[in-house]
Amino acid sequence: MFDVLFIGLSLSSILLLVALGLAVTYGAMGIINMAHGEMVMLGAYVSVLANIWLGANLLVAIPIAFVVTALIGLLIERLVVRRLYGRLLDTLLATWGIAIILQQAIRLEFGLSFFGIHVKGLGSGLQNVPVPQALQGTVSIFGQDLNAYRIFIVAMTLVLAVATWAVMYRTSLGMKVRAIIRNPGMAAACGIDVKRTNAITFALGSGLAGVAGVLMAGFKTVAPDMGATMVVDGFMVVVTGGVGSLFGTIAASGLLGEFNALVAMVSNDIIGRAAVFAVVICVILIKPAGLFTFKGR
Amino acid sequence: MKTLFSSYHVWAYLAFAIVILALPLIGDEFWLNRVAKYLCYGMLGAAVALTWGYAGILNLGQGLFFGIGAYAMAMSLKLKSYTSMQQGSETPVPDFMLWNAEPGAPTDLCCITPGSWLWIPFQSQWVGLIVAVVLPAVFAYIMGRIIFGQRISGVFVSIITLALVLLTRLIVTDAQPLTNGFNGLTDLGWFTVFGVELDPYSKVTYMVVAVALIIVLALTRMLVATRAGTILQATRDSDTRALYLGYDVPAYQSFFFAVSAGIAGLAGMLYVIVAEFASPSFLELSFSVTMVVWAAVGGRGSILGACIGAILINMLEARVSETESLVEAWKLIIGFVFVIVVIYLPKGLSGLAHDLMSKLQSAPKLSSVQKEEAHQ
Amino acid sequence: MNMKRRQFLSTAALATGTLAMPGYLRSAFAEGDAIKVGALYSQTGGLSVVEKMLASAVQMAASEINAAGGVMGRPIEVVTEDGASDPKTFAEKAQKLVIKDRVSTVFGCHTSASRKAVLPIFERRDAMLFYQTHYEGFECSPNVVYSGAVPNQQLGNYIPWIIEKLGKKKFFIVGSNYVYPREMAKVSKGLIEAGGAEWVADEYLELGHSEWAVMVNKIKESGADVVLSNVVGDSIISFYREFINQGLSHEEIPICATVTSEIEIAAMGAEYAAGSYTSFPYFMSLDTEANKSFIERYRAFVGDPAATTYHSLEAAYFQVFLWKQAIEASQDTTAEAIREGVRGQTYAAPGGDVKIDEDNLHCWLTPRIGQWTADGQSQIVDEYPEPIKPLPYAAYGEAADNLFCTAQGLDSSKL
Repeated sequence: MFDVLFIGLSLSSILLLVALGLAVTYGAMGIINMAHGEMVMLGAYVSVLANIWLGANLLVAIPIAFVVTALIGLLIERLVVRRLYGRLLDTLLATWGIAIILQQAIRLEFGLSFFGIHVKGLGSGLQNVPVPQALQGTVSIFGQDLNAYRIFIVAMTLVLAVATWAVMYRTSLGMKVRAIIRNPGMAAACGIDVKRTNAITFALGSGLAGVAGVLMAGFKTVAPDMGATMVVDGFMVVVTGGVGSLFGTIAASGLLGEFNALVAMVSNDIIGRAAVFAVVICVILIKPAGLFTFKGR
Repeated sequence: MKTLFSSYHVWAYLAFAIVILALPLIGDEFWLNRVAKYLCYGMLGAAVALTWGYAGILNLGQGLFFGIGAYAMAMSLKLKSYTSMQQGSETPVPDFMLWNAEPGAPTDLCCITPGSWLWIPFQSQWVGLIVAVVLPAVFAYIMGRIIFGQRISGVFVSIITLALVLLTRLIVTDAQPLTNGFNGLTDLGWFTVFGVELDPYSKVTYMVVAVALIIVLALTRMLVATRAGTILQATRDSDTRALYLGYDVPAYQSFFFAVSAGIAGLAGMLYVIVAEFASPSFLELSFSVTMVVWAAVGGRGSILGACIGAILINMLEARVSETESLVEAWKLIIGFVFVIVVIYLPKGLSGLAHDLMSKLQSAPKLSSVQKEEAHQ
Repeated sequence: MNMKRRQFLSTAALATGTLAMPGYLRSAFAEGDAIKVGALYSQTGGLSVVEKMLASAVQMAASEINAAGGVMGRPIEVVTEDGASDPKTFAEKAQKLVIKDRVSTVFGCHTSASRKAVLPIFERRDAMLFYQTHYEGFECSPNVVYSGAVPNQQLGNYIPWIIEKLGKKKFFIVGSNYVYPREMAKVSKGLIEAGGAEWVADEYLELGHSEWAVMVNKIKESGADVVLSNVVGDSIISFYREFINQGLSHEEIPICATVTSEIEIAAMGAEYAAGSYTSFPYFMSLDTEANKSFIERYRAFVGDPAATTYHSLEAAYFQVFLWKQAIEASQDTTAEAIREGVRGQTYAAPGGDVKIDEDNLHCWLTPRIGQWTADGQSQIVDEYPEPIKPLPYAAYGEAADNLFCTAQGLDSSKL
């Protein structure tokens, strides 16, 4: 039973990794960022490139990926998202376009392949990120042999969740963001620079996705389309948890991850995944605003 | 409301009808077959516009209804295909059921694989035809009743529809003995009307699709112009207000949701007749999002605009992806087109056309269209 | 859309992204008498990972043939189309190639789903599809030449070897959820039971699924002593990684795979697969002059000095030569001529001699078993002395002396 719970915990933490960034951008800015999965993908590629060109291992790649994807996020916000505030469903479409562009940019090695230049680590192929020896194999905890890399992911997710919480609830930026979540108009009236705050928030969300990408690179395949399915899972978590509620997001990822693991264990993985979709549908039908939500005006 | 009925819309519909009906005069069979597929996509675009543009419901699972329509028709046509049936048997079954059957199972549709009896009614192509349209509509109506009855709206509807289509895709792929799983239903026979076989590459088939599209567009256009359509748009703009005015908002929403699903089912059915296969890829997220993009580019506020948007984007895609030098870059180009259209043309091409027409109308010189109007 | 623009020049140069090489080839031949063929693989989407390489192998074969004087003195012009990892697009592009471009041959498709989607087009319009990927069998189309392995060429040698040489008795069968793994499982079960062993589970995961925690846990607790993996695509990578990370080892419970190739091994990191096995007719490590030269030429062609080759890639390459020989044998380029000409053609492929079967248009191949080593290559641990006959209906009792699929078509009364 303990191993099933642990697997559920690790599934939850992977869901949360993707959902954290989305919770920030969607919750605070009302942006449905379909390119979020692609930011995860970019983070994974940063770790591939950092390994090849800098010899950096997975741990070193984490801050690099955060910075790189946050900057790319900032760029996307400046160029596209900024023009679409208040048009929720339009952001979905525009970022879908961005997702296609990002995937293809990696595949075509930023267009260099047209000129016959190949960058090692890019292109349409599968990439390999070496995992530090310490994170391979198992670790014994409470007499159980547990997957070391998964423990690492759970721990990192915990750190990131706490960091995100701290940013949102213990800094002035976080206060501004929360004010914007509640009422952007009133926040602006109180002298908060909504545009600037939004740009930083979007960059933060993208950076979180980038870190998620590095961690994913250690056990998933790094390929240009690796992020495509993640954004769906991430959204389901955020919406199930309740928009704008960080705690809701954490709780929802825990619920869905454990449920997935339990169902998959007693039946199979296909039913497990189907069950997750079913739970999401039921939660929205029963509590349309999500599990945890504040009273909005 | 005046612009809704202003007559250049009518002329636009007429012109569109004439153009698609005249295409067989200039195109070869290959090109016509391809355009026929795009017309099916156009129908899908119209279905999306109906719920999104007029009801404000963004359905990210429209592929579900398209898929149901496609599979219903494909089941019937599979049972009509001589090459894909088990030969020399009095009770032929589709080939894939043979390799999915347990050893020793009777080779009869009733019981060769679990659930294969579901196929029995589809031995008549008319059952496939009716199920393809009615099942999506009924299913959508029930769904709508539940969703809108709970007063769920906006992005939550999108997430539910999205989860539903992905859930269905999992089930269809998993139920291999019944659906042939990931490979889909292929090697299909032809639909027969009054003794005429609808060869996918014939002008007759093209005309069937074109006429179906024109009828759907006309009926949909009339529907949104009715009182029900007006109430629906009121709901879109403020459902609370509509509710307080005493309208049964969920009923209207569910009704239009069902109509849209029925149209999507019809599109799926026609697509199978033209393309000769049905596949779980119809149920993928990317396909459902793509149709929304078609509608956005064409203009979600206009049934015809969304339809034309779907057709134009697909033509553009084919053109670009088959230009040898762009074979690797075409997706990049499509991605940029989406982003630029969403940013600079929020109402899509039809919005652009609309603005142009308004400018013309305000200009002192009457356009030819308006002269025609003046004569009426 | 005129065809003049679609020069072989631009095709090859763009598809490979590197070479301006065919420039001199064009002048060697008169304009307009080129033999047009299609290459239909995914250049975009999830499957482009593998399919782009297959497309380059076809391009490479075509350019080698052209450099050596073409087919019957005529150059090959390859029209590349993008299947975009979507059966819908595959069907559309196949129509374009067959009906609009009027090619009589298309090299292409990778998944069974895409092959099934294009098949009616080839059959109704009588064009030939050359298909290089190992697949589940159960197909007997006069319009497809199958140069990859069928189950009897991958499993017929494999399962008995696992039982006898490795001494394994309890199989855990795992695969991606579609027809190929399910058919492979069906064939395997027969062979496992015939060998006096047993299978303890037969489990499936969604295609592209990358979360293996639960499945590997099940393997751990099942008491199986060997895993038979029919997992395809990028799921393979997360599978092997999770397998090691949960503390299992290939020494105790080896993964014996039917799909895992050099590509996936390179992507997962060789240390995760070291000690496991795969059954394929071709391995990159084959120590022959022909293979070394093939690898060298392929690397030069794609401009990547570390490029890997594997079974489907080799088959994608040699099928073009079989096609060439078929045309030269019947001195015509129609589908009918190619179909009849290709029967019984032999070719010295990089992985050894191959032959297209006279009866079913599948390919005679040499079954081999490789054990993966820490450098990401395989060591051949078992090998047949010569190619064996392909039997696409082996799961249903087909044998060399009782053929279901012959030149006359499928005898379905035997099913």
